[in-house]
Amino acid sequence: VAIRGVGSAVPAGSVTIDDDARRFGETATQRLVKNTGVVRRHVVVEGQTTSDLCEAAASQLLDALEWERESIDALIFVSQTPDYLLPATACTLQDRLGLPTTCASFDVNLGCSGYVYGLWMASHFVSAKSARRALLLVGDTISRISSPDDRAVGPLFGDAGTATAIEAGDDDSPWFFELGSDGSGRDHLIVPAGGFRTPRSAATAKKTEGNGVRSAEQLAMNGAEVFAFTLQRVPGLLKSVTDAAGWSREDVDAYVLHQASKFIVDQLARRLGVEHEKVVLALSDYGNTSSASIPLALTTHRAASLRAGPCRLVMAGFGVGLSWAAVALSTGPIVVPELIISEPIMAPA
Amino acid sequence: MISLMTTAEFLHKIEDVLEEELGTLKPAMLLDGQVDGWDSMGVVSFMALVDERFGETLSPEKLDEAKTVQDLLDLVAHHLKD
Repeated sequence: VAIRGVGSAVPAGSVTIDDDARRFGETATQRLVKNTGVVRRHVVVEGQTTSDLCEAAASQLLDALEWERESIDALIFVSQTPDYLLPATACTLQDRLGLPTTCASFDVNLGCSGYVYGLWMASHFVSAKSARRALLLVGDTISRISSPDDRAVGPLFGDAGTATAIEAGDDDSPWFFELGSDGSGRDHLIVPAGGFRTPRSAATAKKTEGNGVRSAEQLAMNGAEVFAFTLQRVPGLLKSVTDAAGWSREDVDAYVLHQASKFIVDQLARRLGVEHEKVVLALSDYGNTSSASIPLALTTHRAASLRAGPCRLVMAGFGVGLSWAAVALSTGPIVVPELIISEPIMAPA
Repeated sequence: MISLMTTAEFLHKIEDVLEEELGTLKPAMLLDGQVDGWDSMGVVSFMALVDERFGETLSPEKLDEAKTVQDLLDLVAHHLKD
């Protein structure tokens, strides 16, 4: 199995720390930025969705790869911000991208860990020969479900959509995965209302949670619990896949971790004990883009080395669920198109 | 990485990560109300300090129960020299 290309799109609209400073004050904002590392994040406008961003990234990537649309057998859309409750957004993307009706298409509801889970699924379909070519579309628009008044999440999250092209190769090196989940931590990152357990109502729309900064329909994050989970789970996870690949830390060209916040990535780099340049830090212009953060970081911060390839990558996603997944794989040279800055698609009047 | 330090040394470390002025933190101080830096970011910074210095990940539930600076010191008492 081999990755042939990775592409990403972010919305044209953006919010900066100057906007945050007007809301939270200059001093508090400076402290926030030191912690999050986020100076600007791209955010969608109403009517612009994750699937729009993924569609743009996928179209550009398929063109750059010169892949016939007819040759795609599987489409996996990983997101927690789909277009509809139903149907699956993957089905609409099959049509919008002009993929054949023989293409298996489905959604996967995962966030921070979702990209690596998607790679795991796509690689198994392709290596089992149940698909020749798979398209993995991963993204989120968390800005739409986070309260701007909640300083734990408002100034942190940005929006992005990505596309990764995967196919069988002749002499590809194996990929080493480790995945897991622990639902006992479900409340640590959660949008409590809007599903079928607690449907939306007039009560859930009111900002009554977290000292009135958010409603039950918006994202709540317990930073201390998420941080404790990260420290306890992720260093061992990274070591496990690196060992499985038979690599030492020195063999790894880049650690591409979920861009949770600068603080968390820095803490993991410290725990890893590797040079800082090996640990990709890509938050400053995009924020935490949830499921998209790993492929977006590949596009914006490792394009040159991936185009030159091969690269030995250790990638790890961890968070909402709680859920985690890591992979050690060697890839490249691959196609990495320029980042798309995506204008909203306006519905015809 | 793991090193024993005195209570006074550790108090300075806490002041550093909470961005409090050096020498201002006293054990009797209430975390909520008397220590400005003790917000959600402060809690996480304190957890990182303990992880880095003592190799221990503190439980967020236990931290939630801490009311004073002394309570924080008690959580790491077994790592302190005095």
